[in-house]
Parts: sequence; C-alpha cells; structure tokens
Amino acid sequence: MATLSLQGLRKEYGDLVALDELNLDVRDGEFFVLLGPSGAGKTTTLKCIAGLETPTAGRVEIDGRDVTDVEPYDRNVAMAFENYALYPQKTAFQNMSFPLNSKRYRVSEEEARKRVERVAETLGIRHLLQRLPRELSGGQRQRVALGRVLVRPADVFLLDEPLSHLDAKLQMQMRAELRSLGEMQNTTSFYVSHDYREALALGDRIGVLREGRLVQMGTGEEVWQRPADTFVARTFGQPEINLVAGELVDGPEGCLFRSRDGEIEVLLPNRPAPPGTSVELGIRPLDLEVADGETPPDTVKLAGRVYVVERLGRELEVTVKIGENLIAVVTGKGSKDPDEQVTIFFSSSRLLLFEAETGRRIDLEQEDVEAINRA
Amino acid sequence: MDDNAPHGRKSRVRASDVVTNVLTVAYFVFALFPVFWILLLSLKPDKQLSTTYFVFDPTLENYTAVLGLSQGAEGIPFVRFFFNSLVISFGAVAIALLVGVPAAYAAARWKFRGSESLLFTLLSFRFAPELTVIIPLYVIYQKLGLFDSYVGMIWVYQLIALPFVVWILRSYFQDLSPELEQSALLDGYTRVRAFFLIVAPLVRPGIAAVSLISFIFAWNNFVFPLILTASHAQTVTVGALSFLGGEKPRYNFTAAAALIAAIPPLILAFSIQRYLVRGLSFGAVKG
Repeated sequence: MATLSLQGLRKEYGDLVALDELNLDVRDGEFFVLLGPSGAGKTTTLKCIAGLETPTAGRVEIDGRDVTDVEPYDRNVAMAFENYALYPQKTAFQNMSFPLNSKRYRVSEEEARKRVERVAETLGIRHLLQRLPRELSGGQRQRVALGRVLVRPADVFLLDEPLSHLDAKLQMQMRAELRSLGEMQNTTSFYVSHDYREALALGDRIGVLREGRLVQMGTGEEVWQRPADTFVARTFGQPEINLVAGELVDGPEGCLFRSRDGEIEVLLPNRPAPPGTSVELGIRPLDLEVADGETPPDTVKLAGRVYVVERLGRELEVTVKIGENLIAVVTGKGSKDPDEQVTIFFSSSRLLLFEAETGRRIDLEQEDVEAINRA
Repeated sequence: MDDNAPHGRKSRVRASDVVTNVLTVAYFVFALFPVFWILLLSLKPDKQLSTTYFVFDPTLENYTAVLGLSQGAEGIPFVRFFFNSLVISFGAVAIALLVGVPAAYAAARWKFRGSESLLFTLLSFRFAPELTVIIPLYVIYQKLGLFDSYVGMIWVYQLIALPFVVWILRSYFQDLSPELEQSALLDGYTRVRAFFLIVAPLVRPGIAAVSLISFIFAWNNFVFPLILTASHAQTVTVGALSFLGGEKPRYNFTAAAALIAAIPPLILAFSIQRYLVRGLSFGAVKG
C-alpha cells in the first residue's frame, strides 16, 4: 500500500531519449495503466520505478520516500516481466516461494507454503506447482509469474504486459480475473500495456505515452470521450477514429466545418476558433450509423457511396466514400453492397475537433470569444 | 515388377549401409592407428624395438621403469613430472575460473569503456603464437624468480585458459535473459546472491565444458614448460621427451610415458561428457 510518484523522469540511452520529463502520480491502491505503442518507453518507465534502470534525471518516490538511488531489493516492489522471467531450474512452487525465502521478505517455511498455495488456488494453478516452467503452457507460465508477484505484500505491483503473449480468449478471461484478485484490489498497481481494450477494462486511470512523453492522463471515460489530441484519439478504438481534414468557415446558420474537397459540411454548435483555421474532424466508427429510412432528429447526416464492406463477427465495417474522404462505419444492420448509395449519420455530441497543426483537441463546448468579437 | 520394387530398394539401402560402415572403419583406422602404434611401442622390449612391427614379446617393463618401479630410467623422475602437470593444470584452470567466470559475466551484462578492446586483447592471446612471446617471457621469469616454479607456470597458463573461459562463458551468460537476475533483485536478493542462486546453476554445463577444454589445452602445452621450466616444475609433455636424450633413445619409454600422460584428460572427459556436447553447442550457437 503506497503512493507512487514520478517527477521529471528522464532516461537517455546515448543520444536516444527514451523518457522525457515524465511526471505522474499514482494514488494509494489505484490500478494505473500506462498505454502506448511499442518503443514509447513503457518498459523503461517500469524499470526506472523498479530500480533496474537508473534515470538520467528526475525522481522516483514510493510512499513519499525518494527511492531514486535505492537498490531494487530495498524498494519493496514486485514485478511481473513481459517474458515472465521464471527461473527455469525451479518448479512453479519454488518460483513462487522464491521471494519469501529472501533475507528481506523471509517468512517461515510453513507460512510460505500456505501463501503460495492460497495464491495458486486463486490463479487456478495449484495442480501445476511441482512442474518446471518448460513443462507449462504460456498461459500457465504467466499465471506463475503473476503468482510470484502476488505472494509477497509489496508497496507497488509492476506489471509489464503480462497478458500480451496469451491468446485472445485467455486474455479476456485473465483480464476479468485480474481485477477481482484480492491482492490486486488493495495494492497500488502500475500496469503497462499496448492494448487499449486492456487499459479501458483494467485501469482506474490511464496514462498515454508517446515517444517518451505523457500525452494524456485520465479515467478511461475521459481519454475516450475527450482525447487530448489525434494520437490519443487514434490509440483508442478499433477500427480507428475517422479523421477528416478541413477548415472552419462561417455559414448562414453559424460556424461550419468544411472538408478540403468541400464534400462534407458539418454545422458546429458554436465557433470554437476563427474561420479559416485548419482543423481535423474526428468521429468514431462506433458512433456512426447507416441510415435505414428515417434518421433520428438532432443528428448530422452525410450521403455517400459504399466503398468496402468487411465483416467483423456479428457487425459490419462499412467504408463509405464521400467525395475524396473514406469514412469507416461499424453497423449491426444488414449487409450492404459496394457502390450502394447510403446516408450515414451521427449525433453531433459525438463530434471531436482537432487543430490540424498540433493535433490538439479543440473544446467544442466553449465559444472562442475572441473569434466572435473579431467576426 | 511390383514384387521386385521393394527388393530393389532394400538391397540399395543395404549397399549404402555397407559403404557407410566401410568409410567409418577406414576413418577409425586412420585416426586410431597412431595411438595403436604408440601402444605397441610401449609394450616392446628394448631388443625388439627397431626389429619388429606387430609380432614381438610384449612386456610391461617400460611402464614399470617409467614409473620408477623397476630399473632402466634412473635420473628421470617421471612421476614428479606427472604430479607437476596435475598441480599446474588444475591450478591454472582453478585460477582461470575464479577470474574468468566473473569477468565473463561482467562482459556479457555491462558495456563499459574499453570492454570490447579488453576482450579482444584476451582473445589475441589465443591466436598469437606462443613462440613470439616466449623469449621475453623467459627473461622476465628469470628476473622475477618465476622461472621453473609452479606459480610461474600457473600464471603463464592463464594465457591459454583465461581466453577460453571468458569468451565461451560470456556467450552462455548472454543467452540468459538479464530479466532473470532482475527478477531475483526484485524478489529481495542482492546481485551476488542472485548470481549464485539463479545464474550460476544455469551456466553449470558451460563451466564444465570450458574447464575440460582449458584443462586439456593446459595439460598438452609444450612450449611454455620447455622454455620456462627446468627440473623442478617440468611437466609430462616435456618430461616424456627426456627418455629420448642420452646415449640411447628409449622410444618405448616415451611411448609408455605418453600413454600414462593421456589418462587424466581421458578420465576427466568421460566423467563430464554428459555436459560436454550439450555444453559446447549450447553456448556457442545462439538460437
């Protein structure tokens, strides 16, 4: 049980800057997920917290104590590695009880056995305790690695993509189990992942890392509904969010978004920036729907031609061509044929607008007062 | 036709088997004949030494004479040479492991300034001919009082054993994920404990293999003891040749001495052969 705080953390490998001014605070008992593509610096962050890498600059604090120069074995953190790092010459039982035999975390043999068995029971690997790692499947190894973390009460659990090597079905199952483990519920956990679904399912809060910088931090709902920029918006959601390049123009009814080829026009609730600003319009494929006759009121309608249809299990991903723009729509409605004329619509509250130059999101709820004055 | 086909194939298989076997036997004859010849030589009495090939009256007298149990080889303390070889070779391997295992581990895990040059220098000991350094070494050893001493010989054999230990074990350590030790660090163990509890047991086959190879190379070395020892610390390789000096060269004594000298490496090889093939191929070939 502890808080975790990274202050101005920076890590360089030669000329390469792996982490750049990373600031974040994880609350006591929180389950924090650090999300980012490979190479973003997720594992480096974990290893800096664990003490396996020495940061070039910045501080790591655990429970208010500066541990930047403390050896890993004195930090009281437990870590599950991406490649499991099970000791090949030890059985699952010996692997899991290994931390309990160390000088720092020693408990009696009897107590160690009890704890290992209890954790093994929760993880459903009790019958595998006498096996060597090479005799276990990937999923079982991952459970043993997780078990080795859970047997010892640590201040912080560090989990490096522990589910990434599992097949999809097992991943779903483990994702559900992971949060319900008692040990996880009480201990501050720092979880690293490249899978946005994992992040949304597990994280109390999510931090999005890009090229060593923290782009956004917030609850799953916040990062999903109000992404800080186009990078975050694209990270969450499959198929990816539709982004249409265009600019703001003044129309008779108010401020409009007009795509570069002029084929898409969307009336905005207010004028968030001066006319002529280059922007990108963002709308998630899940928020779009193909019209079936009448469309509900208060929606934005766009007409186009079906370009590609792909089946995603029960749903269809329909790509609609409007002018030069390709818009992906996920729909549960019946089959569509290529070249069919369709109308797609979405609720204007789902609309996202980004500055084209910086990629930053423009808040649509706020009028740009200056822009109005100028107009 | 259908009936004949399997017969045809069968006889063809048999023909290729015969060829394989003949070639194998031919190779064995080629490889083992010198050993066989030495064995014959070591069993021949003096009088038949240069007059017979395969038919003679075998005797064990050469062996007993070489070992000092009977007359004939006075003044040449072969048993002492043998003992010297044992002390020097085992000593050299022990020191090489003591220094080389930590060095190999460090070289595998940490890049530090000059680490590559250091490793290359070490390797260059192996491909530089011993003869190029032997004269300066002789002078240095004379001045330092290391000439003809155990310490001096064990030291100079580091040129042979240490590069093996460091280079071969380094690739063993590199094959192990550093995350194994990192995991042990987080499990509450110091670096030293993590090394001994987790890493060392995993490279045991490698340690066995390099110990054996460097022992054999140390045992077989000829040039260093030839120049750097006299009577006190002389080894079997040089000592066995003493029988060829004097008025009458005793080839049969030398043969017996050579065969006796081959025993320790053989015993060692057999006792750890379980590790050997696996050990050598494991570290060297990266997956």
